[in-house]
Amino acid sequence: MYQYNADDTAFLVERVDQFEKQLNRHLAGDLDAAKFRSLRLRNGLYMEIHAHMLRVAIPYGILNTEQLRALADVADKYDRGFGHFTTRQNIQYNWIELPEIANLLRDLSAVGLHAIQTSGKAMRNITADPFSGLTKDEVEDARPYCELIRRWFNIHPEFSWLPGKFKIAINGAKLDETALQIHDLGLNIVYNEENELGFAVYVGGGLGAAPMVAPEITPFVVAEDIISYLESVLRVYNLKGRRDNLKRLRIKFMVREYGAVEFGRMVDEDWQQIKNNPELKLNMDELAKLKKDFALPIEPVDLGGFTDTVDFNYSIWKKNNVRAHKLLGYSIVNISLTQLGTAPGDATSEQMRMIADLADKYSNSELRTTKRQNLVFPYVRKEQVYALWQELDQSDLASPHQGTLAHVVACPGGDYCDLAKAVSIPIAQQVQQRFDDMDKLYNIGPININISGCENSCAHHHISDIGLLGLKKNEQEFYQITLAGETLHETAIGRKLGRSIAGDEVVDAIEDIVNIYLDSREEGENFVAVFKRIGITPFKEKVYG
Amino acid sequence: MVDDNEVITVVSEQGQTVELVSVEEWIENIDSLAASGKGVLIKPADDVTLLKDSLNKIALIALDFIGFDEGRGYSQAALIRNRWGYSGEIRGINTHLDQLQFMLRSGVSTYDLQEQYQGSNEHDYTHGFSICYQAAANNTDMKEKF
Repeated sequence: MYQYNADDTAFLVERVDQFEKQLNRHLAGDLDAAKFRSLRLRNGLYMEIHAHMLRVAIPYGILNTEQLRALADVADKYDRGFGHFTTRQNIQYNWIELPEIANLLRDLSAVGLHAIQTSGKAMRNITADPFSGLTKDEVEDARPYCELIRRWFNIHPEFSWLPGKFKIAINGAKLDETALQIHDLGLNIVYNEENELGFAVYVGGGLGAAPMVAPEITPFVVAEDIISYLESVLRVYNLKGRRDNLKRLRIKFMVREYGAVEFGRMVDEDWQQIKNNPELKLNMDELAKLKKDFALPIEPVDLGGFTDTVDFNYSIWKKNNVRAHKLLGYSIVNISLTQLGTAPGDATSEQMRMIADLADKYSNSELRTTKRQNLVFPYVRKEQVYALWQELDQSDLASPHQGTLAHVVACPGGDYCDLAKAVSIPIAQQVQQRFDDMDKLYNIGPININISGCENSCAHHHISDIGLLGLKKNEQEFYQITLAGETLHETAIGRKLGRSIAGDEVVDAIEDIVNIYLDSREEGENFVAVFKRIGITPFKEKVYG
Repeated sequence: MVDDNEVITVVSEQGQTVELVSVEEWIENIDSLAASGKGVLIKPADDVTLLKDSLNKIALIALDFIGFDEGRGYSQAALIRNRWGYSGEIRGINTHLDQLQFMLRSGVSTYDLQEQYQGSNEHDYTHGFSICYQAAANNTDMKEKF
């Protein structure tokens, strides 16, 4: 992975120093709440119900164990001993005291971590496939490009005061794990007919109250020109994006208003004037260096006649949590942070340290975060997977639920978040309790359920097999159910089932939906396939009938 | 300083009082306004491409940065300075403290801070960062890493 050098660290410290000055001006009454809000958000700091919430960036979801231990230390020193891994591969702390923020950020800067642009109207953390560089069918490893693009837009003088937030995902795999078309901008790595590497560019996706699938703006920009192309997209958005209507700030509204073709033409018009500017060409020397930084840190091993241990619980866990590695003798291991009875994505400092120890022992001291709020060990020797499972199992981290209905993705919801209209975590727990039988889960097979506590859609409910959106009606919590959203093969927003359902009835409704699926399923069909074949009506009739 | 009913002026870096006109006024009377040494006041919603062909006749360009989160001025400055090569003074007016380095790097050359910031340590915000990761109109004194 890329390690921060002295300049990178100095930059982080400069950022903390400036933010501390801004905080002190605010505390002294010289910077009003509205202005300070804009500044603190750009440093990842939110005001929540109980305290301040801090979002720390995990660029394209890669951490080393030193960083994970530092995150654990922050949880103990400044929070209540835990952190929440988010659907955008970041980590959040919910109980931060304002005056301590600068010291916290300084602690993080020592290990190359920061909260720069993790919120506010600026370019956010770039997300990537958590299996980047690890799988056989990959088109290209996205991480060197993620790093170059991340750097370029880090405190960019022209594009730091955008109309709205701006999220980028970059996918280099054949199957899109990043859900790039629900991002403000998605880059899909492709080769053109001349066998040059470049990007198909999608602009104007997003979830929220008006979910939209990003249209393709151009089928190919050669890699060398991607910085100038992105500058043109951002310039068009910065100059012409809506700033007058708080509900229409995101670029998706601009793309919808102008149409994808006209938007693409505006971008191209700007781009033609700068694409040959040598300063804006992707730095190919730096790219080559980064490719080395991100090269596999392991060598293939021939395990000869190795046969894995046979153990019922291990086998179930392995089926759902272990993926094939491109390198001979290795596996990719998912660790689910969604345990029965705990908030999805939450990890205690003790768990973080324990996972760091395990990653040192089994995964070359590196791990990844995922949009399904898991951690991934990217480099596990096949013959050590069983030993890793045993250690995880002893610590209650060997949840076999990955990819099943009991693996619920949820935002912090009404228990923590000031924006939430309804709770998420208790509903997730009810679902887990209802479907806690492994035989039953096995029979149901892979199915996603995502719960967002409000229209901001942090849990990505729109792109889930079963999505729940929390609403408030007459002070009661209700949930809008959407079905058959997807992103892996193609991107589709889930269809609304019907009127929203009261919180105490929502798990019954989910069970009804699952039963219709099971009753209708034909050999090899997943949830989306069944939904496409039978339509929404049978689900409606069962739930509302 | 900025009031629709009054003639708006700024004192240039060279100490000259320059009267500012709107983009619309400038476009309608380029030659006479240029001859009388007028500057142009650009508001965030103005289309700066209208000025592209007559840029070098403008005595001074003022960009209004009154909105704390208003970001169009940075792109306007970058276009005027970097892309079209305007070499005259670009004045940021109604500016906030926290955005100074963003503004200066985008091509603004001088600025008038809002009154509420008088007495602040401007250097903290004009030179808060010594390292930068991207090309810009003005990276003077910065270590460039790109």
